[in-house]
Amino acid sequence: MTTTSDDAQQKTEAYLGRLRRRLRGLRDEHAGEIVEELRGHIAEKAAAGGGTAEAVSAALAALGSPEELASQYMTYELMARAEVSRSPLRILESLFRWASLSIAGFFVLMGTIAGYGVGGAFLLSAALKPFHPRTAGLWSLPSSNDCMDISLRLGFGSAPAGSHDLLGLWIVPVGIVVGCGLVTLTTRFAIWCAKQYRRTHGLERRS
Amino acid sequence: MTDRAPDPESPDKWEVQLRKGCLDLAILAVLWGGRLYGLEILRRLESDSDLVVSDGTVYPLLGRLKDLGLVLAEWEQLEAGHPRKYYSLTPAGEKRVRDMAATWTRFSSSMSRLLAPLEGEKK
Repeated sequence: MTTTSDDAQQKTEAYLGRLRRRLRGLRDEHAGEIVEELRGHIAEKAAAGGGTAEAVSAALAALGSPEELASQYMTYELMARAEVSRSPLRILESLFRWASLSIAGFFVLMGTIAGYGVGGAFLLSAALKPFHPRTAGLWSLPSSNDCMDISLRLGFGSAPAGSHDLLGLWIVPVGIVVGCGLVTLTTRFAIWCAKQYRRTHGLERRS
Repeated sequence: MTDRAPDPESPDKWEVQLRKGCLDLAILAVLWGGRLYGLEILRRLESDSDLVVSDGTVYPLLGRLKDLGLVLAEWEQLEAGHPRKYYSLTPAGEKRVRDMAATWTRFSSSMSRLLAPLEGEKK
């Protein structure tokens, strides 16, 4: 039987170091508290198991891998923050995290970026129309295969030959309504997906 | 995370989901008797329930319950050894665990009524 040695100590510190690295993104103080609490847990559990190196290994194994453990802390934190703040930036931050964990998260992130992108383009077109009345707005552009492309232009450069402005100054109210609508719908979609994720993973916020 | 939804056909997965769903209530119920630290909570869950909880599940969950304002966490420095983080129910936590316990009792007694015929057929 091996007694608790530097080796066991090193194992604990290596585990906690890996955990700490994976908790990047949480406030330093919060991540530090998580690590301290688990350090106490490992020490006490190992001591109860006889204080051997094997007991330390068993205590670490019972916690699961540091990556999995950190993921439980991080995912909940980020999803909860996104849900509370309802800010597109927070939501995107959480979705990037989710996308790194799963394919479903990746598709939700892509959909959300597309929603915010198109919504943002409508808002920008509306905002820039008064400054670039001849080039900004919703334009139809001739394309090579006899079809018309519709494009949201922000007023930079000049309008291509054969193109024409579809809405004129109407882009201002239409752009604001459609842009705000898309941003709101995208936010709701992302929060709904986050809730589904939290529910299926037992992380549901109950208050 | 895995993207595979739990297979509803599998009794094992159904049981895992069932246990997982009870864990919040179990932790809050354990704290009803007074403040405890993480390892004590785990030991109580092991000795008083059939939940088979992994250590790595309980700590993030305690963090979540704290975040929801249902439990309060306080550090206590010991004379020797590592400091301990003690958890206790907040007034909101006390109310929540009472509500959850009432729901649980209602639910389990209605399920027992529903399952009574099966019990009768047991060989």
